[in-house]
Amino acid sequence: MNRRKFLTILGSAGVVSALGSAKVAEASPASFPYFPDSYGVLHDTTRCIGCRRCEAACNAVNNLPKPEKPFTDLSVTETKRHTTAYEWTVVNKYEVNGKPYFRKLQCFHCNDPACASACFAKCFQKQPDGSVTYDGSQCVGCRYCMVACPFYVPGFQYDLAWDPLVQKCTFCEPRLKEGKLPGCVEACPVDALTFGRRSDLIKIARARMAENPGRYVDYLYGEYDAGGTAWMVLAPAAGGAPVPVDDPQGAGTEFKQLGLDTHLGSQPMGSLTYGALGAVPMIVAFWPVLFGGAWAMTKRREAMAKLEQEKIIKDAKDDLVAAVDAAVRKIGETEGEGAAERARQAMTEALKAREAQNSGGLNGHGEEK
Amino acid sequence: MRNGTTLFLLAVTLLAFAACPPAPGAAPAALEPTDSGAPSAIVIFPVGAKPNPKAAAMAPVAFNHVVHEKWMTKNGKDCTVCHHTGDAVACTTCHTQEGKAEGGFVTLEKAMHATKIAPRKENTPASCVSCHEAQLARRECAGCHTTLVRNVRNEAWCAVCHTMTKSMTAADMQQGIAGTLPERRNEALATETELARAHADYWPATLAPYKVVIDSLVGKYEPCVFNHKSHVLSLMGRIKDNKLAGAFHTEPATLCVTCHHNSPPSATPPKCASCHSKTIDPAAPQRPALKAAFHLQCMSCHKDMKVARPRNTDCTTCHKLRAPERAANQAN
Repeated sequence: MNRRKFLTILGSAGVVSALGSAKVAEASPASFPYFPDSYGVLHDTTRCIGCRRCEAACNAVNNLPKPEKPFTDLSVTETKRHTTAYEWTVVNKYEVNGKPYFRKLQCFHCNDPACASACFAKCFQKQPDGSVTYDGSQCVGCRYCMVACPFYVPGFQYDLAWDPLVQKCTFCEPRLKEGKLPGCVEACPVDALTFGRRSDLIKIARARMAENPGRYVDYLYGEYDAGGTAWMVLAPAAGGAPVPVDDPQGAGTEFKQLGLDTHLGSQPMGSLTYGALGAVPMIVAFWPVLFGGAWAMTKRREAMAKLEQEKIIKDAKDDLVAAVDAAVRKIGETEGEGAAERARQAMTEALKAREAQNSGGLNGHGEEK
Repeated sequence: MRNGTTLFLLAVTLLAFAACPPAPGAAPAALEPTDSGAPSAIVIFPVGAKPNPKAAAMAPVAFNHVVHEKWMTKNGKDCTVCHHTGDAVACTTCHTQEGKAEGGFVTLEKAMHATKIAPRKENTPASCVSCHEAQLARRECAGCHTTLVRNVRNEAWCAVCHTMTKSMTAADMQQGIAGTLPERRNEALATETELARAHADYWPATLAPYKVVIDSLVGKYEPCVFNHKSHVLSLMGRIKDNKLAGAFHTEPATLCVTCHHNSPPSATPPKCASCHSKTIDPAAPQRPALKAAFHLQCMSCHKDMKVARPRNTDCTTCHKLRAPERAANQAN
């Protein structure tokens, strides 16, 4: 029907326009509030000696299970380990410009976390103190957060058959609330981890670059990467070694050599999906009403039309019966009862024959009743 | 023999007197002669074409040619490190204060001080500063000069080279700038300056304690017994014959202030803990906490001087594990 088509197009156009304009405009980094006083940690890889004290401290303060190999075994840093549900931080060895360096990996506590943007149960929260916390009470175990995280940090309790949860570095949020430093920061013997307000850490990092020419790559990883992270990394520069003439690009790959992805861009990961995901609640709420309403209206109109038609047919039938009655009465008055009876009989038969003829003939005409 | 020696000495003395008429106020002794026959020392004046009646310029530099020539020979280099064109001419022939076409308009200041010299196809020239700074990468220098000591460019640094004997007159300077100073006078001034150059004697290791017990942070580990004397002697011994270090280490406490930094040079420097608090100081978050200060100081120097042992992660080499911790480790 034309009207139905028109309504459908109109409704779809409305939804598409709402989706396209309003929601995408809202999907700026401000989807998560920016906390100017939030904390962070600066990781100086030129200082890190790979002693794994941070791992041991993390294990202790978070009551994590004892690892297979003790923390005094430093050979494990040779393999590129990743964080798991029970190892919230790992230190690995990387070769940077031919020299060994160590880098600690843990949750970067993004300003605008991708895990939180992917979680439909709202388990992840960016807190005003800078930490990205996880509340497993609503977790359905979909592990979308693990897929979304650009650093592959969250780990899943695969060993638990009953109610497995996602686990990751908490920024020692309980300790921060007590006024203590995160376990790893406190344990670091060389201050390769510096805790402070994120805004101060950026200044400290810049000051270190300025005061030690040639020591650091002139880039603070995490200042803008993935929309900015609370934990940031300084990388060692070639140390005054001349830039290879044949490979000038090779001089800028220190972060890559440290195993850090430098192609995350400066926008939060979530900004790629806020537009589409933000429209989901609206579609869920709006489309049933719109299309249900259109369907109900059409149905009601059909029912009304049917009723009207039936009434007309009934009236016509009643008229016919009344006309036959009147004709029979007239014949009875003039020709006597017998003639009236015969006339009624003949008329009834004629009507029946006509009705049979009508219904037989109408079969080919479909819905016209 | 004895007669021959006496005669020879007499002849040399006479020759010397004949060659150099006594300069006013000084009787210059001679420097060792060079192998190449070039003057043993010369003054590099800030030669310029602009009229400069008051001879207003930076103090000229007395260049000890013989020391540099010997070093080049010892390290398998030749004259072309400095005389990069291949001609044994003075720097100021092409490089003047204003720059000349034959010097590619590289000014004298740049030619002597440039540190970022663009590589050339053949024989990239070296400036004084670039070559001297390259020496800081040597193992005996790297401990202090890679991380702990930053290259400052203050007046004391300039004055190491830009110093002249008092016997240089204003007229000498004017002539020097104009490039008209007689060679003999130039050499005499340079020789006098070089011979007057006195190197500071470092404070002896005995001025400081033999051993320092670092026990301010004892917890898991026993105190660290730091052998202060052997560290000082090692640092001094390595640069004993290094003339460059001798020239630039102008203070008796120069070696001390590498570790005892950010406080005036003193034989009784303040303790590390007087600035480095046990936990990070919110007022100075850039300052390492005490534990980190110790570790960073020791480890950076050991790393830069390529001290193979102890490794950074061999904690118990410097401080033994305390008994309760040891017991706990064994129980595990």
